[in-house]
Amino acid sequence: MTPLISILKVTKRFPGVVALDRVSFDVLPGELHAIVGENGAGKSTLMKILSGVIPDFEGELRLRGQAVRFADARSAEKHGIRIIHQELNLVENLSAAANVFLGREKRNRWGLLDDRGMARATADLLQQLECHISPSQLVRTLRVGDQQLIEIAKALAVETDILIMDEPTSALTEAEAARLFRIIGRLRQRGVTILYISHKLEEVFSLADRITVLRDGRLVQMLNRHETNVRAVTHLMVGREIEAMDLGTGRQAGAIVMEVRDLCLPWPGHARAWRLQNISFALRRGEILGIAGLMGAGRTELLECLFGASSETPTGSVLLEGRSVRFAHPWEARAAGIALVTEDRKRLGLFANLSAGANVSICTLERAALGGLVRPRRERSLAGEAIHKLGVKTAAFETAITSLSGGNQQKAIIARWLLTKPKILLLDDPTRGVDIGAKEELYRLMDQLCREGLGIIVTSSELPELLTLCDRILVLCEGRMTAEFSRSEATEQVIMEAATRRES
Amino acid sequence: MTSATPPSSASGSVCDALTRLLQRTEFGLIAAIVAVVLLSAAIDTQHVYFNRPADSAINVLRQTALLGVFALGAAVVIIAGGIDLSSGSVIAFSGTVCGLVMLKLAPDEMRQGLPVGMPVMAAAIAATLIVGSLIGSLHTWLITVVGLPPFVATLATLVGLRSLGRALIAHFNSGSSQIQIFDERFRYLSTSVWIPVVLFVVLAAGVWVLMARTVVGRHLYALGGNESAARLSGIRTDRLKWLAYSLSAVLSAIAGILYTCEVATADPEKLGKGYELNAIAAAVVGGCSLLGGTGTIPGAVLGVLFLRVVIDGVAKIIKRSADIYEGLIVGVVVVVAVAFTQLRQAGRRGQRVLGGPLGIVTIVNLAVLTGLLVTLFGQDYGVDGRVIGGVALVVLILGRLLEGRSAAVKPP
Repeated sequence: MTPLISILKVTKRFPGVVALDRVSFDVLPGELHAIVGENGAGKSTLMKILSGVIPDFEGELRLRGQAVRFADARSAEKHGIRIIHQELNLVENLSAAANVFLGREKRNRWGLLDDRGMARATADLLQQLECHISPSQLVRTLRVGDQQLIEIAKALAVETDILIMDEPTSALTEAEAARLFRIIGRLRQRGVTILYISHKLEEVFSLADRITVLRDGRLVQMLNRHETNVRAVTHLMVGREIEAMDLGTGRQAGAIVMEVRDLCLPWPGHARAWRLQNISFALRRGEILGIAGLMGAGRTELLECLFGASSETPTGSVLLEGRSVRFAHPWEARAAGIALVTEDRKRLGLFANLSAGANVSICTLERAALGGLVRPRRERSLAGEAIHKLGVKTAAFETAITSLSGGNQQKAIIARWLLTKPKILLLDDPTRGVDIGAKEELYRLMDQLCREGLGIIVTSSELPELLTLCDRILVLCEGRMTAEFSRSEATEQVIMEAATRRES
Repeated sequence: MTSATPPSSASGSVCDALTRLLQRTEFGLIAAIVAVVLLSAAIDTQHVYFNRPADSAINVLRQTALLGVFALGAAVVIIAGGIDLSSGSVIAFSGTVCGLVMLKLAPDEMRQGLPVGMPVMAAAIAATLIVGSLIGSLHTWLITVVGLPPFVATLATLVGLRSLGRALIAHFNSGSSQIQIFDERFRYLSTSVWIPVVLFVVLAAGVWVLMARTVVGRHLYALGGNESAARLSGIRTDRLKWLAYSLSAVLSAIAGILYTCEVATADPEKLGKGYELNAIAAAVVGGCSLLGGTGTIPGAVLGVLFLRVVIDGVAKIIKRSADIYEGLIVGVVVVVAVAFTQLRQAGRRGQRVLGGPLGIVTIVNLAVLTGLLVTLFGQDYGVDGRVIGGVALVVLILGRLLEGRSAAVKPP
């Protein structure tokens, strides 16, 4: 069989990191080809190249034997390739139907928009997808699972032979995921070739024909599903047994440093009314507390509440070393000894216009200043010390922060916060977009900080990470706390079960 | 233009430092300023720059100082990620306030054209500066509490304050549209060569230290670079905005006093009209990105100097006052300075600059503009604008063809 897509020695460099390193493989017509790998393995970059989102790269793409090079996503669509991004690309203020037909709107004979025609076509498509929503409903009022189906409907509204799905189940409940799998089955009957990216191996093994494993930007191996098993693939993905990292033993939790009682965060204008509801827990010195939950469960919102950074004012009480506190601004939280390393590094953490050193010293510049004037030498030694302690690999103070790898950027931001001498460190998905080696270094760092007496709360989208790191794990589902497990009780299975436990 | 991070003392080899220096916007501007001065001196048939160098320099410096004072404010706000459109009207309004306070405190002297005395002058200037800071605080409130975009908030005062100034003068000065100020010492503030220049140098040095060397300055760069990250780093962004917008408004108020001194009249209808855009243009030419977070104060100062040198050079060449052409010159300078870097990047990406139907229209546009400019400025030198316009047309068409050829060679 001639391959439908050939990927030949594709390399993609970003400043400071090689995201893909000479990756080559074929995709056969009609197959479901899974691409697996850890975060930062290069899966998403590869898919963005295939779908024209990233137009410049080294190497070659062939479609049905013909060399192609897409200038943008539109030209990839003309060749029948559609991608459904992990972060959904919908215009939230438009209706479902308007989103489905965005950029190729139907027009009536006067040249005006044919809203009724589009609504009818959308209703048909949604029916096929077992999605029971009105085409005129605004996208922002829909659940994430339904929004994803709108993306699929959008892809099906035009001729699509190749559908790329990037982590499609990361925000779905089990029922929604099951519906998605039924839809995938139907698409395959129609002859659609599917490239499926995931790091959930059960899913991959129930769906895929062939599996390609990426690690640190390189292709490790391509396997037929029937000739392999979950264990072997896990091993290939991780490259080493990450569970073998023994970090937690011998840590001694100290006195309670923070206590949260009945924390609620309102969600105005939303059907659920509460973003977070009745969250209560305690954090001890020298303890790592993990927060698990699906996308949209409220992990980030919880950390923002504790840091005084939430857009709405939370209710309930937070006790810091026994004293009741209420932060209206992150500045107050910082002064009280709380540090937050945000999830979205680029958007909420980094100052791309400042040097690596200035990024580290930004929170504690006062300490390097005399009468308001920054003493460059003192700033250098302050930042240099923290950079050295965390092992940030940077050539000099002046190095552009954007030229560092994801792992080093993350360490620089942690260094920024450690300089504030916090009592509590909040880490929101700290290993996202970080390569595996740096990940391990980050784990050791957290363990070390914890042993030095810091109270740490960490969220993660990867359960093995929480199981490796944490002394206790709280599970959130739709803004409610559904379970709490100690290190010995916690397994992936019980956590997943609690993370999808809905209110009846 | 290279993106300029706040300067911090250099490390690495001398060679590295030198390369970095040569790549800076500031260096390019100095070279451009020298080039423009030499070019104007060469073209000018009366050789004013050679015959009366001191007079010419003083004239350019005075104009630079007047524009520079409030361009500093524009630069600070732009670096902090905002925009202040109001400075022209703040200039007019602060002149009004200054005149009105004098009129209130010394009505008889003002009506009879007598000196008002130092205490009255000092009170008027103090009141004007206070009003300036109030305007800045109003902007900050509208932006941080009400949640207006900076563009809208300062647009409102741009439109509103000039009108308010006119209404106030009409009300308090019995229907007259301006207040005349006869005090020679007041006029001296601006007609003296050195007061505005020294004042500008001192203010520029102060703002430079603020932006490049203080904690607050670094926080302003952080705010402009990434507001969310700044807030989440525990930086009180609202206070920083208060500082930036107040500084901008106070500097505009100082400029307003100087401009009022210059014409010895508080006339809110004419004073500082359209100057806000000159200030923003100077900051942008000086390397401040409207996206915020980049640019330096020395860059902005050189941007102002560059604008004034070009305007003065054109005046020398056409041997008339360049008033009518000022806007035209500023527009061309801004586009050329910023387009230069943009087009270089576009060329690197292999994008076509004159491609497609828009390219055809652009070729016609540019050729006609070139022809018009040459007709306007070249009349004393016997150059025919039509000929030059025609030549430009041919060159641009050739450019389009060449561009098409090189784009076609690139891989599919």
